[in-house]
Order: sequence, then structure tokens, then C-alpha cells
Amino acid sequence: MRDRLMRQWRTLIRERANRQWRELSLDVVDELACHLSDLQESSIRRGASDEEARQIALDALNAASFLELSKRPRARYGGYLHDLRVAVRQLIGTPVVTTVAILSLALGIGANTAIFSLLNSLVLRALPVNDPHRLAILTDASAQGTDSWTYPIWRELQQRQLFDSAFAWGTERFDLASGGVAEFVDGIWATAGMFDTLGVMPMLGRAFTDADDQHQGGRDGPVVVISYAFWQRRFGGAADTIGRPLTLDRIPFTIVGIMPPEFFGPDVGRRVDVVVPIGMVTVARADRRLEKRDWWWLSVMMRLRTGQSVDQATAAVRAVQPQIRSATLPLEWPSIDRQKYLKDGLTLIPAATGNSPLRIQFERPLLTILIVVVLVLLIACANIANLLLARATARRHEWSVRLALGASRWRLVRLLLTESLVLSLVGAGLGFLVAQWGSRLLVQELSTQTATVFLDLSVDWRVLTFTTGIAVLTALLFGTAPALRAAGVAPMEAIKDHGRGTGGETGRVSVASALVVIQVALSVMLVVAAALFMRTFDKLVRLDLGFDPTRVLVVTMNAERAAIEPAQRMSVFERAREAVQALPGVERAALSFVTPVSGHVWGNRLEVSGSVALTDPERSARRNQVSPEFFETYGQRLVAGRGFSARDRDGAPPVAIVNEAFARRFLNGANPIGHTLRRFPARADEAVLEIVGVVGDAVYRRLREPIPPTVYSPVTQPSPGLPSNEFNLNVRAASGSPALLARSIADAIGEVNHGLALTFRPLSDQVNASLTQERIVAMLSGFFGALALLLAGLGLYGVTSYAVSRRRTEIGIRMALGAAPQSVIRLVLARVSALVGIGIVVGAGVSFWASQFVSTLLYGLEPRDSATLVGSAGVLAAVGAMASWLPARRASRIDPAEVLRDS
Amino acid sequence: MTESRLDLPQGTVDLLLLKTLALGPRHGWAISERLRQISSATLHIRQGSLYPALHRLERRGWIKARWGTSDNNRRAKYYELTRRGRAELETQAVAWRKLSVAIAQVLETA
Repeated sequence: MRDRLMRQWRTLIRERANRQWRELSLDVVDELACHLSDLQESSIRRGASDEEARQIALDALNAASFLELSKRPRARYGGYLHDLRVAVRQLIGTPVVTTVAILSLALGIGANTAIFSLLNSLVLRALPVNDPHRLAILTDASAQGTDSWTYPIWRELQQRQLFDSAFAWGTERFDLASGGVAEFVDGIWATAGMFDTLGVMPMLGRAFTDADDQHQGGRDGPVVVISYAFWQRRFGGAADTIGRPLTLDRIPFTIVGIMPPEFFGPDVGRRVDVVVPIGMVTVARADRRLEKRDWWWLSVMMRLRTGQSVDQATAAVRAVQPQIRSATLPLEWPSIDRQKYLKDGLTLIPAATGNSPLRIQFERPLLTILIVVVLVLLIACANIANLLLARATARRHEWSVRLALGASRWRLVRLLLTESLVLSLVGAGLGFLVAQWGSRLLVQELSTQTATVFLDLSVDWRVLTFTTGIAVLTALLFGTAPALRAAGVAPMEAIKDHGRGTGGETGRVSVASALVVIQVALSVMLVVAAALFMRTFDKLVRLDLGFDPTRVLVVTMNAERAAIEPAQRMSVFERAREAVQALPGVERAALSFVTPVSGHVWGNRLEVSGSVALTDPERSARRNQVSPEFFETYGQRLVAGRGFSARDRDGAPPVAIVNEAFARRFLNGANPIGHTLRRFPARADEAVLEIVGVVGDAVYRRLREPIPPTVYSPVTQPSPGLPSNEFNLNVRAASGSPALLARSIADAIGEVNHGLALTFRPLSDQVNASLTQERIVAMLSGFFGALALLLAGLGLYGVTSYAVSRRRTEIGIRMALGAAPQSVIRLVLARVSALVGIGIVVGAGVSFWASQFVSTLLYGLEPRDSATLVGSAGVLAAVGAMASWLPARRASRIDPAEVLRDS
Repeated sequence: MTESRLDLPQGTVDLLLLKTLALGPRHGWAISERLRQISSATLHIRQGSLYPALHRLERRGWIKARWGTSDNNRRAKYYELTRRGRAELETQAVAWRKLSVAIAQVLETA
């Protein structure tokens, strides 16, 4: 009983405080409630009636200064703290709206932040080195970005001392194992200038110097500097790691330094775990790449002199270019290529953000996805704006009371914007977590077995600014309409038509309609994008590769560091093949120099007897060296002639098998059997090959490129100049997953030769890895397209339901006057379908225009694919119909009698 | 009923509250009842100003508050004098007496 009295007074006091924009602490409310309860009770004891006693206490409450216990909160932080509290209370008061809003914001902002932080670390972020803005990279004027250089060019450039300092590096995956199955670590061959040029010194131990960078190592023998991450992973961060041995590619190195944690090397997208002096390459590799003038494998970065601009530095390089070029001219090149070599202008470009082949590959897909997620966020904003607008209408009563009690309109607008800001900041906070998780997941997805992608995703000021900015922007986007709505409320008007109301709603309805149109249009665009990318991926997945990748395991055998005479390597590989072929569970095993979609390419320009007239670039064909079992192992069909056999030995007439694309290109589709081919221009040491067979076309390097003319020659007839250090053994399993055979294959090859370094990779993984970019784009755009549909559906449903509830009386009267339920449904649907229709037309139009920008990401379909456009419009129409049919049906079930009674 | 009561001059509320609390801890309602009794219902503290005054005294450190249970079994805030409050009461009481004597004198002699 007493408690009830207290509770009553507490409620009354709070209500009073709210009306007067005051904040009362719980204690004060209790104290006052206790007082008023006591007052009321004692009045009864003194003989007042219940009603009188209550009035006495109410009078006390109404006494002007009663509530002055609370200071006017305006005094502190200009009242913003108060606004914040009221806003939070309002949001908690409508949990469903708040949850929907926050979740869609968290997803929207999270997705934006995730993609942005990827772009940030890939494109925007400066290298974590000293004064990165003075760094530049050497490029070719004719190409952009990913240029590589020969060691002789580097030497010529280095000798001329044009810059503060410079260094050259080549990427490598080093093998940590001492034999058998390889265990790779990402590293670089680098010149000693790296540490000075980047201005990054080891945190422990020392850098290597020119003295270490000798062809057999310096005073301490071969030395290596390792990364912080590798130190932690491999050595558990042991303090005595400096001086310990580390075996790379079977060579014992001594660890002399450990780089600081933030250092990941000069390439963005790849983490360097070991830095090896470039001089050691002569020990580790027999290819004499330091001498070769046509072995392109180095990147070159320089630190400009203070005050030296990139243009000045380029001019300095151009001044000595003729000497550099002529001193390093690859003499065996055809004259046409030599001319081009001499002419190509050396150019420097700023390299503050590092060097990144990944950047070129992923910049456009990432930008596309960023636009997709921005659109999703816009849809979410439109949705939330609609939710808040609906709520705004429900709260007009409250606002007009506040206005009547003396709150200013600005105050009201501010309060509502505070609510929006709280929503978007909470959403952004959650989104930030989503982003942390999402961006890491994405980077993981980007990595393949042979290329580990590393991006520094730590949060920096750019990401924070982006997220905060986007949160504020979204708050303004979805908060402005409801706030303006509040500003338009008349002080007492809303009280008058509280609970009824048919008029004065046109503004709200037209804003909501516009939002629906925008939502539908944006959704159409996203669905079109999703459809284009998913169909691209689907086409690539279903693409006829020309071979069957299932059940094939690719075993790469590297003999570089095995104690085998180069001349003997081929026979060791062949013995390994025979050993594996004999294993149970192996259907067939074949050797090949190149495997499809591995990234490796061997190609020449060719001269074919009886060929049609071709330009130089048209003469280029891909090549491969294979053992006789190859076509059978890959399931590549023989179209004409014969396959290779044991008779095609060294010394026998040199033969070749070509694919159908070859016949089309060189012979206009005529039967190539009997024709001969040789390199163009011809080399004295290479024989003329006779074509003895034709096989079906098969994908060579990339699924997306047209199948190139391809020439296969037998492994037993060596091709001069072809490196023999590494060969692939392709193993088709009799059944089941080929990866299960890896152990027994490793053992079998180990018995043939212990020294071979082995890498295993299922061919289907190799094919999938080549589609990483397409898969990610399809996956993300599909996910966000679906999310857009869901949001648009929710939005439509909300708007239609709201419209129905506003027109309840009208519908009731119509039905009382004899309208059939069907006509009511039509009435409701007519409006919505008009809006959806406009949205679809607008969205399709914009998609039609915008799709040209993604054409390079598509495969096998036109950007303005009409089926995609029509299909997407259809999907949107279906979602629209479903979302509005439910409220329409509810409208048709309104009981007229009830409506009329209520009015 | 109310017209015969006197409104308190500015500043005297503090003194009366301190005095009321000199007899022991009380909660707000009890204080106002007590005041009514001892002043034979002539002095009237406006309902609204009691609590602001109590909180003011608390802020000045003359009284302190703790939560207890009232006779009516309600959670109530009890106020009591602090040492500084007791001293303040002395000072203000002396000052008031001097002032009222002085004013009485003026009124009689003028």
C-alpha cells in the first residue's frame, strides 16, 4: 500500500521533472516521494478526505521551487549531457526500432570500414619507415608500376651515385626444410643498401653490410636478418637468437639481426620474414642470374637527396640512361627488342606507400566493393530515416507538449539529432568490431597456398577518421528528416488531433515515398552488380578448362639444392615419376615443365612452315615440356595424329604436339600435322620441331584469357636454355582426394633422391586460387546484394504498414460502404507499386550507365547484359510485392464496425 | 489557515533547520513537522524551499545525510548536524540574538 503511494509519487515527480527539462537523481526523487507520501498520509490522519489529502500533496509538488533541487542542466556542457541522457532513454524505450537501426548500421559501417582499411593499407598508408616521402621506385616509362630489372642494370645505376642511397631486391620463397617436403618462408634477396635507404635498422643485432654481401658471404659467412614475427614464431622470441644458425634452401646462415615489429619489407601485401644478402644468390642458385642481362627479377627503390624532387631525380637518371642501357643490352635479343630496350625511358615514381603488385590487381575490385558497401549503407540510412520518421509522427504529441512548455524548436531538433548520433555512433562502434573481424577474414581469403597476403590492418588515424566521419554523416543523413519534422510541429496542434489525424501527413508521406524510391533504386543497382559478378564467377567456375583438375595432385620437385649433376636431373625426375606411378592408388603420373594456372609461363615467338602472315606479337605461343603420360593424366583429348612415346628420345627426330588454337592462329585452321616450327628469330642451337599431333585446347595461365596457341614437346628431347632445376610431377589419384597420397608420394620420391625439395598442391586448389579475386568480389557483392534486398523489403513493409495504419479510418469507411477486400488490397498496392516501379526504372537506368566501369571485372557477359537487368528488376518487383502484400492483406481484414466505433 | 502564518526572512531558514537538527537526526518530512510544532504553526517554510535548503546546508558541510527507514517504514533520507554545523548553529544563534535585540531596541526607542 505504502509502496504504491511512493511509486505513484515517484512517477509524478519524474514526469514533472521531464516536463521542465530537469534531471533529478534517483535519491532526490525518493526523498521527495517520501515527503509527499508522508504529507498525504498525515493529511488523512488530520481528517482530510482521500481526495483532499492527495490534492494537498499535489499542491506541494506544484509549488514552484519544489524541484529546484536539480540545477537546470543547461548549466553543464550546454545541456548536451542532458540531451544525451534523454536520447539514450528514448532509444531504450523503443528497443525494436533501435536494435534494427543499430544492427543495420553496424553491418553498413562495419563493411565500409573493413573495405576502407584494406584500401588504406594497400594504397594509402605510408611504409613504416623513416621519412617515406623521399622514397622513389624505378619504373619503365612504357609500363606502370610492376617493373622488374636485371642485376647488371642495378649495378650500373648504383655505381653512378645519383641518390642519397638505393637498394634492389627480389622476392623469394625460401625453403626451411633440409630436404623432402618444403617448408616455405617469404623473404627477399636484398642489397645492403636496404637498411639505409628505408632508414629502418634491426631492433636487435645488426644489419648486413656490403662486406657481408659478397658472393660467398663476408667475415661471418652467410648472414641473414629476420623479421620480428618470424623471430616470435620460429624462435619464441628467444633472447639468444642472434648468432643462431638458420637453414635456407639447405644453406646454413647465421642470424645477425632482427627487424622491428612494424617492418614488413618494401612490398605492400607481402611480409618479408627473412632478408638475405643478394650476393648469396650465386650460392643458392645455379642460374647465374647476377650476370644475365635478360633475367628480370629485381625491384629498385631509392632515397632522394634532400631537396631533390622526383622529377629532378628522373632527369638525372635519364641523363645517364644511354650509358646504362648500352652497357646492359641483352646481346642475344632480336634487334627489334634491342631497339625498344634502348629507347625505354627510365622513370622514377614516388614510393612513400611502398611497392605493390597487389595494388594493381586489387585496387579496382576493392573500389568496386567499397562503392557497393557505400550503397548498402545508404539503403540502411533510408531505412532508418523511415523508421525514425514513423516514430517521429508517433511522438508529435510529446513534442508539442514540450514546445508548449517552452522548449525551443532548436532544442527539439538538437535532441533528435543527438538521438541519431547516438544510434550511429553505437552502430559505428559495433561496426568497428565487425570491420576488425571482416577485414582480417578478407585478407585471409586473398591468400593462396603459394602467396600469403599480408596487410598491416592496425587501426590508424585514417581508419578512425573514416569511421567517425561516416558515422556522423549517416546520422545527418537519416536524422535530418525526422528532426525537420519535429521542428515543424505546432505547439498545441498535435495535442488537439492526438490519436486521430488524417491531415497534416502529406509531408511525412512524400518524404517517405522519396526514400522508398531511393531505396529501391539503390537495391536494383546492388542486385545488378551482384548478379553480374556472381554470373562472372559462375561462368569461370563452369568454364571448360580443357582438362580435368579433379583428383590431380601437382608435386613440384626442386633439384636446385640437391646433389645432382644438372645433366642427370631429368633422369632423376623420370625415376621419381616411375616410383610414384608404381604406388597403389595412383592412376597415372606425368612430368611437365609448366602446370596450368600456376602463374608460370614459358613462351616463344614461333615461325611455322606454311604459316599465314602474322605480326610479331601474333607469333607468340605458349610452350610446355611434358612426358608421354601427360595428356592422359590431364584428360586432355588427342584430336589428331599421335601422342608422345618412348621413341621420342634425345637424338630421335624432334617432335611437337600443338593445340587447336595453334592450328587456328598459325595455319588458319588447317591440319598442322607434318608442318614444322622453330623459334622466331631462329636460334642456331635449337632444332626444328615437326608437328606430330593435335590436342584439344586447354587453359594455360589464366581462366580469363583466351586459350593461347600452345606447343608441347617431350621432356626427353631437351630444349636449350630451359632451366632444369625444377619440374612438376602431376599425379592422378585412382579415387578420392589426391592430397591423401602426399605422404606416400613424398616417401617414394625420397627413396629416389633425398635432396629434392617437394611442394604439394591439388590442381583444383590451383584453379580455385586463380579465381580468388572473382570469388571474393562475387561473394561480397552477393552478400551485400542480399542484404540490400532484405533492407529494401523491410523498408517497404514498414512504409506500407504505416500508410495502412494512417488510413485505417478511411479504409474502414470504404469497407462499410461496401468496398470488397480485393479492392482494398488494390488500393494499397497501387501506391506502393507505383513507388517501386519508379525506383526500379531509376535503378535500372543508373545501373545501365554505371556498369561500364566494372566491365574489366566481368567475364563472358556484357556489362549491359539485358537478362541481368530484367532479372534484377524482377527480383526487386517480387520483393516489393511480398513486402507490401502483407500489410495490404491486413488492411483488407479491417473490421469496419470497429473502426467506426473507435472514431 | 495559512494567512496567519509568517513567511520567513531570507537567511533565517538555515538557522531554524540547524536548530531543529540539533536535537538529533531527522528526515525531511519530520523536520517540517517538527518546525510546525515548535513554532506553534506560525512560522511557515514553503514546501518547495525545504529540500533546496537542506541540500544547500549539506553542500556547505554543516549537515550530513544517510539513508534510513522512517517511522512509516519508508526509505528516507536522514539529516544530522556535523561538527561544523554545530559551531555554525552557535555563531548564527548568537548573531540572531544580537540582531533581534538590536532591532527590538530600535523599534522601542524610535
